Amino acid sequence: MNVDNRYNRQIILPEIGEKGQQKLAESKVLVIGAGGLGVAIMPYLAGAGVGEIGIVDHDVIEISNLQRQVIYKTDAIGKSKAKEAKAMISDLNPLVKVKAISEKLSGKNALSLFEKYDIIVDATDNIAIKYLINDACLVTCKPMVYGSIFRFQGQVSVFNYQKGPTYRCLYPDENLDVLNCEEAGVLGVSVGIIGMFQANEVLKMILGIGEVLSGKILVYNTLNNEQQKYDFEKSEFKSVDREVFEEKYNKCVIEEVSFDSVLDEINNDEVLFLDVRNIDESPKISLENQIQIPLMNLEIEIEKLDKNKKIYVFCQSGIRSKIAVELLQKHQFKNIKSIAGGALAMKNILKEEINL
Amino acid sequence: MIEVKYFGAVAEKTKCEFEKLSFSKELSLQKLLQDLDEKYEFESLTFRVAVNQKIVSKTSDYTLQTSDIVALLPPFAGG
Repeated sequence: MNVDNRYNRQIILPEIGEKGQQKLAESKVLVIGAGGLGVAIMPYLAGAGVGEIGIVDHDVIEISNLQRQVIYKTDAIGKSKAKEAKAMISDLNPLVKVKAISEKLSGKNALSLFEKYDIIVDATDNIAIKYLINDACLVTCKPMVYGSIFRFQGQVSVFNYQKGPTYRCLYPDENLDVLNCEEAGVLGVSVGIIGMFQANEVLKMILGIGEVLSGKILVYNTLNNEQQKYDFEKSEFKSVDREVFEEKYNKCVIEEVSFDSVLDEINNDEVLFLDVRNIDESPKISLENQIQIPLMNLEIEIEKLDKNKKIYVFCQSGIRSKIAVELLQKHQFKNIKSIAGGALAMKNILKEEINL
Repeated sequence: MIEVKYFGAVAEKTKCEFEKLSFSKELSLQKLLQDLDEKYEFESLTFRVAVNQKIVSKTSDYTLQTSDIVALLPPFAGG
């Protein structure tokens, strides 16, 4: 296969040349979301000869996707978007190394994924994940090529480019309620146009040509073809480091319940009350479905516990029980809650019960 | 006379993409935003404000000048 012929029309551009083509071949781009934006971006990155493309999407193709996600075929309905997009890229340009990642992007996989790529493209359709991408880009020092759509309008920007402003500098409030395409509706071309703007920013960054949309947001209206650029500044308070990231996205959520609210489950055989105090601690609590494993032995004796049961953990006052919940969650126990106030609170409630 | 541009969900509330407003006495950016909020009831809508293509703080102490262009820019989420 003649590589020079494949890329001839762009290599003859003085701004690109053989050198630029080499830069493209050495670049690695991760596209998050293989929906309307992603399918507009990927073919152009592949065609241009980006060396490596990763595609993150856990969705399968639905018939309602096809009016805008035009790389997918009708007979691929029900198949993985990431895998179908990978097949399309390989057909278009077998020189591109492609990886299909059919997983949901989360705090758990984002950092290790991002570290393997040079540029991260946000082609997602919800706000919460944009903050996750932004924060993971900050931790891993990668630029984020942002695009999003509201009906006939689109926004494009590049965040964290050479330590430039981020998504949080533009929109600091992450508790937003914003409509996505599913809710608001969209015409395929609108999302395609915005995706192409994103692909253009990716290629410019790799090639080092033109001006990257850093510290600027482009707003495009497809109905009247008006386009505006707005400048925004970096806010020093919006930085995120690894520690903040882990705390925000990967901290176990420990649920607490009051003993009051679970009284009617005392006799339920699907429920287990786990006392993590030492044997000599009082007040003694003895419930029908109860087991005692002191916290320090919990990991060794973990096989005594049934993962399928709902487990309420208690200690003396509700502190060690939270540590126990965290430990059990790490061992893939799913339905674990800590009893607030521990045995002391439970004893009072049990006394009241008896007096009644 | 100033021009105010509306985008996305904000334009859905205002039912127009731009309007020209005239004011007789001095008008601060904060007062303008307050007036617009009363007129259109933006309520929980989030948006940033730009004056002459530059995004500024909503609470910035700025007095609007004739021919200023103000833009209200909400985040978009579709893709």
